[in-house]
Amino acid sequence: MAAYLSMGEAHRRIGDYLSRVVNAISSSDGAALASLISVSSAPGSTPLSDALAAFPDFPRLAGDRFPHLADLLVPLLRSIHSHSLQRFSDAYSSFEKAASAFLQEFRNWETPWAMEAMHTVALEIRLLAEKADRELATTGKNPDKLQAAGSFLMKVFGALAVKGPKRIGALYVTCQLFKIYFRLGTVNLCRSVIRSIETARNFDFEDFPVKDKVTYMYYTGRLEVFNENFLVADQKLTYALMHCNPQSESNLRRILKFLIPVKLSIGVLPKRTLLERYNLLEYADVVTSLKRGDLRLLRQALDRHEDQFLKSGVYLVLEKLELQVYQRLVKKIHIIQRQKEPAKAHQIKLDVVVKALKWLEIDMDVDEVECIMACLIYKNLIKGYFAHKSKVLVLSKQDPFPKLNGKPV
Amino acid sequence: MASHAAGASAGSDAPHAEVVSMGQTNPSPYPPLASSHQAWSSVSGSATVSWNNQADKPNQDAVYYDPQRDVSVAGGNQNVGVSASHAAQSSMGITDASHSQLPYSSSVPRGYNPVEYANYYYSYPQATNDSSVQQGANQHPGAAYQPLTSFQNSGSYIDPTSNTYYNAAGHQTVPGYGSSSYYYQNNTWNGGSSGNNYAQSYQNYSSSDTNALQSSTSMPANSVPYQQQYNQWPYYYDQSVPNASSNQVAGNSTTDTVAVNNPSGYSYSNSQPPPPGTTPWRSNSVASVAPPMQAPGVSGPQNQYTNQAQDHNSNQATGVQWSQNHYTYQAQAYSQKTMNLSHAPLSNPEDQQRTAAPIGPSSNTLSNHVSENFQPNLQGSMTTNASSESKIQIPTNPRIAPGFSMVIPKSEKKNLGADLSKKPAYVSVSVPTNDAKGTQVGPDAVMFCSLLRLGNIHRSIPFSLRNYTIRNLNRCKDDAQRTACTRIMEEIVRKAIADGTILTKNWDTEPLLPLPELGVTEASDSDKEQDLTKYYASATALANSPEEKKRREHRSKRFERSQDSSLKSRSSSANKDAMANMHTRRAISSHLSRTYEEGTRAVEDMDWDALTIKGTCQEIEKGYLRLTSAPEPSMVRPEDVLEKALAMVETSQKNYFYKCDQLKSIRQDLTVQRIQNGLTVKVYETHARLAMQAGDLPEYNQCQSQLKRLYAEGIKGCYFEFSAYNLLCVMLHYNNKRDLLSSLASLSKEAKQDAAVKHALAVHAAVLSGNYVLFFKLYKKAPNLNSCLMDLYVERMRFEAMKCMSKSYRPTVPVEYVAQILGFLRTDSEGCTADGDDGLEECEKWLKAHGAVLSVDSSGELQIDMKASSATLYMPEPENAVAHGDATLAVDDFLARTS
Repeated sequence: MAAYLSMGEAHRRIGDYLSRVVNAISSSDGAALASLISVSSAPGSTPLSDALAAFPDFPRLAGDRFPHLADLLVPLLRSIHSHSLQRFSDAYSSFEKAASAFLQEFRNWETPWAMEAMHTVALEIRLLAEKADRELATTGKNPDKLQAAGSFLMKVFGALAVKGPKRIGALYVTCQLFKIYFRLGTVNLCRSVIRSIETARNFDFEDFPVKDKVTYMYYTGRLEVFNENFLVADQKLTYALMHCNPQSESNLRRILKFLIPVKLSIGVLPKRTLLERYNLLEYADVVTSLKRGDLRLLRQALDRHEDQFLKSGVYLVLEKLELQVYQRLVKKIHIIQRQKEPAKAHQIKLDVVVKALKWLEIDMDVDEVECIMACLIYKNLIKGYFAHKSKVLVLSKQDPFPKLNGKPV
Repeated sequence: MASHAAGASAGSDAPHAEVVSMGQTNPSPYPPLASSHQAWSSVSGSATVSWNNQADKPNQDAVYYDPQRDVSVAGGNQNVGVSASHAAQSSMGITDASHSQLPYSSSVPRGYNPVEYANYYYSYPQATNDSSVQQGANQHPGAAYQPLTSFQNSGSYIDPTSNTYYNAAGHQTVPGYGSSSYYYQNNTWNGGSSGNNYAQSYQNYSSSDTNALQSSTSMPANSVPYQQQYNQWPYYYDQSVPNASSNQVAGNSTTDTVAVNNPSGYSYSNSQPPPPGTTPWRSNSVASVAPPMQAPGVSGPQNQYTNQAQDHNSNQATGVQWSQNHYTYQAQAYSQKTMNLSHAPLSNPEDQQRTAAPIGPSSNTLSNHVSENFQPNLQGSMTTNASSESKIQIPTNPRIAPGFSMVIPKSEKKNLGADLSKKPAYVSVSVPTNDAKGTQVGPDAVMFCSLLRLGNIHRSIPFSLRNYTIRNLNRCKDDAQRTACTRIMEEIVRKAIADGTILTKNWDTEPLLPLPELGVTEASDSDKEQDLTKYYASATALANSPEEKKRREHRSKRFERSQDSSLKSRSSSANKDAMANMHTRRAISSHLSRTYEEGTRAVEDMDWDALTIKGTCQEIEKGYLRLTSAPEPSMVRPEDVLEKALAMVETSQKNYFYKCDQLKSIRQDLTVQRIQNGLTVKVYETHARLAMQAGDLPEYNQCQSQLKRLYAEGIKGCYFEFSAYNLLCVMLHYNNKRDLLSSLASLSKEAKQDAAVKHALAVHAAVLSGNYVLFFKLYKKAPNLNSCLMDLYVERMRFEAMKCMSKSYRPTVPVEYVAQILGFLRTDSEGCTADGDDGLEECEKWLKAHGAVLSVDSSGELQIDMKASSATLYMPEPENAVAHGDATLAVDDFLARTS
């Protein structure tokens, strides 16, 4: 297609594009500007990219025509051109230059009219960096563009997280940063950004756009899962779930993927329909094991989905459900025993528990089971005490198996 | 610096030199003698000549080095960096300057004729002397010096590198090359000190850059410089006499270079006699000359010493010379180097020289310099040097010879029948020229002073004696030797003072004190009486004869016996190291700058291989010292030695701190040489195990992180074992869930089948569910060193368990049961009676220490009252806790380590 393009036509198209960009800036049309500078969403061949291919001297054209914006326009055109040629690493590098120039301009604009464009830049630079890193990785080079994008976005964040009208755009950049940090596995870098968002006294968190808030809560909730702060994690993920666009099933699923383990750990079990609807059936066996007190099933479920759970980071959370499974098991024994001999319903012999575990093919000796009973009491999963001499677990008459009720073990 | 008048004369110089040398040399020496005695100030143009010569020498060095350098190092950009360093260095000490010059040399455009430079310098001298003469002198030195060079070469026997450059130069043999000879001459003449130093620096330099090529030679290289210095001094002072002879023989040169020495006066006497002697010398081929050289020069300490010496002794005069040498050196370097590089940041060598000179030592020195040098020039001839060298050998070892006085006569005899002229020289010698104390700039000044304590007391100590002392000290390879040497020197000097021979003795021809291990040759006492030619012929053979070896050994033992850590020697060695480091660092920085200049090469594209060093140290034992500068190949052990070192540590009976220190140094040596193979893994594994056993988690972590990387690179090792350690460490000691997750995720299927890894995973499960019973069961049957890592968690686990039990058990639990499940009993639960009592007592003690309430029940069994205990349990402060949180930093601990 490019071959058919005449020089004049190419020249005209490039000139047209440039003037649209400049016009958008001069007329403070953020939306128009945003659409003009989104590079990565463009298909391989657009009228503009064809023109760029046909008119290799475009940098000079841009420089000559709009010298005051040459720092922005020239690398932007280069980036578009490189991207259309699938040279993502080059596209990223050029785009970062253009983004720096844009950030410079943005700092000087007093009103946040270009916030949408700024957000587009933040998004584009991340997407381009990811593409570039994939390209670099396949060619055996060091994929460091995403990291570079992270440090650039920190600059953007610095320009936005200030007093004034621009602050409203800071959360979006924060979320882009989260995405980068989670992908890179450098989530500890999130802390400084979070601090700056959460400690701001002059800006209410609720004033941020909802979509940003949801994303933010999702990521901070995940961070709390890592830190095993289940209560806070529950709170944040629930917030995200409640405010998430109900149409966006994939986002809901993402949130639930972490919210379900968190809820499990505080004793809230999901309905199976929920798991089915959001295709989260990897948790089904876990939930079942909790219901049944089937330790073996829990271990099997963990084993089966180990890689998945390890990758998402919920493995340790699910592992901790073991004590709850024990509790359920003892409770079941207690219920059976109450039916059999109500007089001794509150005294559970250790042997019985050991035997029950044997049926589950769990090999534990008496001392270990005794230890588990002690732990259950210690962690407040069972009310009562253990008499060592007689090897009997003595349950409280009132509410021997307290519900977690939203409190973690 | 100088007027350009020389330029015109340059062309004609060569011829002149030849002609003049014949006639002039003889007469000239004498006059200078007188003048020299009178005053340094008398310096004339000739002085400059000497400078040139010196300069030339360095150049030569540069030349030979250059080829090597070029090969190894691509760029010649070094100049810039070097020049900067140059200035700094000059202030520091001469040595530095010399080093810096090297780079210059590389940069120098070829176009420059050495001759021109010479002229340039000479212009000063011309005032007094004829330009022709000066030039002649330059050339002449070349001829005369040749022997010297040969000496160096001989020294080079030891050193591969020195040989190489020698060969490259090839000039030495030929007396009057013209420009080329020039260089040579200079080199030889300078002696040793400057020339050699340069050489050394080069070697170091190159080694750092190229690693492979030169590193191996670096050791020898060091030795070379020593020799040179040695030579140099003799030339300096002694040599004027030989010049005459040389003149005759060579016919080329007027020979002035040596003149500087004259002040001391000794040289005069020596130098004059020899016309006859010279011829034989001449006849001797380089090789023949070499052996003698080796003997004296065997050990050569570094340049620094000489520099210092000069500073002290001659004050400005010497210092100036040095500085000049450097500069000249640069200039020459340019000419020579041109070959290599076209670069030319410093297109004009002259300019550079000029600038350099001022920068260099103090400006005053320059002027002084000139004047002083002058005298020497007249007298000194290259040939003399050769003779002097021979002399050196001749004289008896001070130690061996009871009386110094004895020695002197001998030396005279040896000097091929020193002529009458010599005698006057002796007399004149008595005039000490120095007290340069004030001028000393060099960092080594202090130690030098201390070394020459005696000298300071007796101001009249001759320059040559100081040099002799320095020479001896410089040869010493380590502190022990140095201290021993210092003592001996003091003794010698004291004796000499007592005998009244201190001023009359020809210290320059005094043989150096023998040192062990330097192997090449040493003048043996028996040689004294031999004919010179004979001596030369036999010298090499002697050096290697079993007899001689034995003797040497004996002598070396003597040195070792008298160990004493005198501060001076310490500081000197420290300085030496510092210098060496500086050089390597400079080399690296210059390399870096070069790579930057070469274009937009990013850091990751840098050829780190070229910067990696190859160690030459053969010591198996080496303590760890954190590097604060570029590593010195002579301080780094090569791989085979490191292997031995590892074996040594593994079998060592010493404590952990010693082993840790040793292993850290091994790791360091591996790192600086970028060795990453099975040995590296083994070292880290060994260290990690030791650290675990000692409970040294920080050290263990360092090893673990390295191992992780090494395993990831596919180097085989105990991967599973250390995967287990890693898991345990992360889960027990780092409450970082994400690290644990990634550790778990990185485990392969095979790894999960490994017993150790399985064990670690079981521990993880036990800890997660709080199953202390399982934990202590696993603790007892831990494979490998898993128990060591668990050890560090036991206290916490026990306390957690007690808290748990105190809350869940009612009313009491027997202590014995607790002792059993909490791992106090060494045996399995089945056989807890085996040595139960010990464990029981320990458990009881532990429980009491943690606030448990114990009671004895009706059956006499000790029980824990759980309800009471639940309120009183506490975690006691660790007994060895220190306020700053790191017990290993405690004073007691430190004292325990060091004792």
